[in-house]
Amino acid sequence: MIVGQAKTTTAPSARAETELALQGLWHVVVLNDPVNLMSYVVMIFKKIFGFDEPTARRHMLEVHEQGRSVVWTGLREKAEAYVYSLQEWHLNAVLEPDEKN
Amino acid sequence: MKKIEVKLSLPVVAPLLDVIKSTVDDLRGSLAAPSSGRDLDEDLREVWVDSLLVSQSGDCRTLLGLFDRDFFSTGVISFDETNAEPIVRACAAVRLRLREKYLKRLEDESLESGNIELETLPEPERKAFMCYLFLATIQELIIQHLDSSIIES
Repeated sequence: MIVGQAKTTTAPSARAETELALQGLWHVVVLNDPVNLMSYVVMIFKKIFGFDEPTARRHMLEVHEQGRSVVWTGLREKAEAYVYSLQEWHLNAVLEPDEKN
Repeated sequence: MKKIEVKLSLPVVAPLLDVIKSTVDDLRGSLAAPSSGRDLDEDLREVWVDSLLVSQSGDCRTLLGLFDRDFFSTGVISFDETNAEPIVRACAAVRLRLREKYLKRLEDESLESGNIELETLPEPERKAFMCYLFLATIQELIIQHLDSSIIES
């Protein structure tokens, strides 16, 4: 019984912490890979995020030269959808919490 | 509808198809980019990966569909707005797996620049690298000519 009571008091607090974490801002980060063509990456950025050519190229070069680029920041649900789309195109994309928020 | 037809050299391309087919077989049940979905909770990850696998498998089928009986009689493959997107994606998946399976020994820089002497590579690396270049050429062709169809679709 005591164990059961302890669980009922800690579980909501843990859930609240998770919910708070999910409510913050999230980065969609694309990581470099040596396989995908630069023109392919530019095309995907234009298609998925609606970037114009110079913006798509800037992000592609950032990935290529610095190993990563934050291509979008916003709420978790939309960030997940973007990561899914990028992974469908076989780009190495991850979600990262925005530590400043 | 915009369409590109490309005539390929059968003696050059036909021997590469076995490698492409076996790589597609190898991709059955595993993603070309295996880290996909790693930052999700277990339940969502499973659904996520399954859905990506369905997409990857459909794309690979479309790629292999290019090399049908007509191709072996004419040497011609064609791309249009309906198959450009899955083919360009499938090429990426197969290239990633070729790199993982056969070309791991090659340095990233050499692979990115394509600055590799084909004659110096042993088999099966040599054939795998030829496939790798061939699929990149297909991607370049599609991106160059059907980029706007893909972006707007």
